[in-house]
Amino acid sequence: MHKSSSQRLPPLKRNWWLKHRFFKLYMLREATVLPLVFFTLCLLAGMVALLQGADSWQGWIAFMGSPIVLLLNLLALAASLFHAATFFVLFPRVMPLRIAGHSLPDKAIVAGQWAGVVAVALLFFWLLGRA
Amino acid sequence: MMEKLAINEHGPQHKQAFDEPLWWSLFSAGGVCFAVILPAVILFIAICLPLGLLPAGALSYERASNLLFSVPGFLFVGAVVCLPLFHAAHRLRHGLFDISVGNDILNKKLMYGAAALLSVLALGLVVAGMLR
Repeated sequence: MHKSSSQRLPPLKRNWWLKHRFFKLYMLREATVLPLVFFTLCLLAGMVALLQGADSWQGWIAFMGSPIVLLLNLLALAASLFHAATFFVLFPRVMPLRIAGHSLPDKAIVAGQWAGVVAVALLFFWLLGRA
Repeated sequence: MMEKLAINEHGPQHKQAFDEPLWWSLFSAGGVCFAVILPAVILFIAICLPLGLLPAGALSYERASNLLFSVPGFLFVGAVVCLPLFHAAHRLRHGLFDISVGNDILNKKLMYGAAALLSVLALGLVVAGMLR
């Protein structure tokens, strides 16, 4: 008896991931790229404005200050941090580090990556935060 | 056993996915940038700047132009725009597959194609700014 592949494996319903907390978190992580794409498009618009001239640049900053844009970018900030929290724990699993014959504890690798986030923020503060 | 053989003969042909390591590498590199660099970029450029929390002149037209239209600016755009775009394209493609929207062959072309197009546009803007 021959069965086609669709008969062997019934297609999943679209809401399969709503049935378990683990799958909901998985989908939430996938969705972190939606506000990321929004921020990236904002940034591209800013680059075009900067190329056009000083007035366009001021106009872009005003656009970035409108409540809905600000809110979506706050969401993008939260999404980047949530993504970071899920991404950093993968590193020690994908590439365990060994130093002098001792494997580095997972917690140290995760903490090192958060230190990287702080270092980049400090770099931006050094570049933009001072008068 | 016979059934298994029959499935192998009539089942869908699986082509060797020679390009998947490339997409996965870009996804991975973009994921690192999204996690490590983007929080600071979003905080300073999309929140502090429009709220007026940066010191006067920190990102004035002249300063922003000098920072962006330069070799470090080119690398910045690669890490903050291009790689995260490929990360997003990969997640969107697999997300669409997960909720059975469209078909993967088309989604793949649309997502990675859009990421490549916007990346070229972003890097092209920096080069245009450097040349003017």
